[in-house]
Amino acid sequence: MTDTAAAAAAPIIDDEVNWQRLHPATLALAIVKLGPRSLNFLPAVAALGFTGNWVWIVPAILAFLLFSLVAAWLHWLRFRFLVGDDEVVIESGVLSRQHRTIPFDRIQDVSIEQGLVSRALGIAKVGFETGAGGKENDAGLDAIALDAAQALRTTIRAHRSGEVAAVAASDTPDAPPVAEDRLLFAMTPRQLLLAGLFNFSLAALAVVGAGMQFFDNLLPFKFNIFNPMDWADVAEDYGLDQWLLSHRWVAGIGAAMSLLLIGFASGIATMFFANWDFRLTREPRTLRRTRGLTTRTDVAVPVRRVQAAILVTGWFRQRFGWHELRLQSLASDGEKERDHQVVPFAQLESIDPVLAEVAITRPEGDAAWQQSHRIIALGGLVGALGASVGGLVAVSFGQALGWFGPVVGILIGTASLFGARFHRWTDLGEQVAIRRGFWKPKLTLLPHASVQSVDLKSDFILRPLGLATLVFGVPGGSSLASHEIPAIPIATARELRDRILTARARA
Amino acid sequence: MTDTPAVYPTDPFDPAALNAAEGLDPVDPAYAQVLRVATALNLIPLAIGASVFDYMLVRHIEGPYGLITALAWLVAIIVILTFPSRRVSRWGYKIGDGQLRVARGWLFRTDTIVPFVRVQHIDVGQGPVERWFGLSHLIVHTSGTHNSTVTLPGLPADLAAAMRETIRRHIQTDFA
Repeated sequence: MTDTAAAAAAPIIDDEVNWQRLHPATLALAIVKLGPRSLNFLPAVAALGFTGNWVWIVPAILAFLLFSLVAAWLHWLRFRFLVGDDEVVIESGVLSRQHRTIPFDRIQDVSIEQGLVSRALGIAKVGFETGAGGKENDAGLDAIALDAAQALRTTIRAHRSGEVAAVAASDTPDAPPVAEDRLLFAMTPRQLLLAGLFNFSLAALAVVGAGMQFFDNLLPFKFNIFNPMDWADVAEDYGLDQWLLSHRWVAGIGAAMSLLLIGFASGIATMFFANWDFRLTREPRTLRRTRGLTTRTDVAVPVRRVQAAILVTGWFRQRFGWHELRLQSLASDGEKERDHQVVPFAQLESIDPVLAEVAITRPEGDAAWQQSHRIIALGGLVGALGASVGGLVAVSFGQALGWFGPVVGILIGTASLFGARFHRWTDLGEQVAIRRGFWKPKLTLLPHASVQSVDLKSDFILRPLGLATLVFGVPGGSSLASHEIPAIPIATARELRDRILTARARA
Repeated sequence: MTDTPAVYPTDPFDPAALNAAEGLDPVDPAYAQVLRVATALNLIPLAIGASVFDYMLVRHIEGPYGLITALAWLVAIIVILTFPSRRVSRWGYKIGDGQLRVARGWLFRTDTIVPFVRVQHIDVGQGPVERWFGLSHLIVHTSGTHNSTVTLPGLPADLAAAMRETIRRHIQTDFA
């Protein structure tokens, strides 16, 4: 069976002939993937070594490699797919066969992803978002030639916009759709650098610190950036040690500086790797986002499937007007993210045009924000109390570490008391705006028409206060973080619920 | 604070209070029997377990033999007899006005509204115990991530079927 990019791109007429295989380079990819996987094999090798059977190690590794490669090859051999007139058919499985048919109508979104190796090989992983629950239900082709992937996406998109019904199947499917594409937002390296500076993160520090501890004896140079004495040693090399010993604070500054450096460097690096050459384009029916330095992803968010917009900022960057825009859609973005990040870092005036494309508006400056009741701090306070009591009990048993409990308790308590002041909401007629958080302020813009169901919740604490919490059932997003307006007067909650539910369905 | 005088009976444990005040219909009282059977099936094995524990262990260490057994059975019987009817009285529903409203719970009360046009599909289910009492439960599926299924138990089988038809007609007219 031949497998060329051209064959993949062509529309399929004859069902029998046009089964396709994944790109042969996928096998090369399998070899690369073997690297991390061979870690599983390490214990076996170690066992062989410990029992003194040294001669068997090389044959064992060879057998493992051979077995893995044969398995990969069998998988490749038994995986075939067919792009029909209005459906994709995938057959897979070595021993138990799986036959899956995905109608184009049900494909919300086709994503194309390329890792570093894939880019070198010119292949890409295609993911079909069907909106079915659960990640394991999403089908994908891993991997086919990049141009075949793009052609496939064009075919599916053209079908969704109703063109395929009109044109004969023999027409070239990769003719561009009707309206021209328009660049909505892009990030220059300068902007990325700025965004990276605000992306200051000490998360990498933990990793570096742990590494320093771990490899302390292995490093060719003996230097721990967290140890002020090491900085003093450096100074000695320059003949500065006497001066330094009388000015110990310099060593402290040195340590602090390296902390800052790591924080900024990791922030900038993550920003560059994730968002290099970020482009958001408006296509006839979708917003399309391409980004990434090593792993390039190409994701399309159908405009009509957008359910809500979320504006995220930080307590510090907010002062400079920098925001991040996420769109909640039926399909999820990648493995971890539940929302689609469509603008990573921009001023509000650059975000507004993007919001306009999905017919969502930002509340004006004079919007009448209403506060949630302070009682929402109660949960945090109870947690704080628990931590404090637990810690004090530990102290009473003579465990000095227990003092950690009250300290954490006070921190949690203060944070929840303070954070409770930042829960606000306002109704903008067509949509509700919910704002929360101080450390990481988050503004959710939820069109009434996206709301599928409304819960009005009250409990033994809220009810005596005449309060209720509104929880909205919205498609997409995370099941853990549902949209809610906590602790508002019950009459207001009822009225708002009625207003939202009378809204017309979002197309 | 909002000190609006309550127009409904203020006794929070009055079974009629919450539903009547919110204009909800109660579910079939026979549902209490279904819940009772379910509760019994959960608790009786626990009580048996407690008895065995008592017999095997407490007797051997010369503890107060019989205390745990008596307590476990007492609690189980009280819970089985009293709780189900109380829980049933907290369920309420209202169908009409193009929407289904389901309320449940008292300590943590949740009052859910699903407009018919937002319903993806509907299930009417009947377990063996429910069949015994001629009851069904209605499950409404929405596309929301939160509340993707809303369950209303304790409906007479014919009423559940009628409600399903009502909702189905709305779904169909919406697409027409």
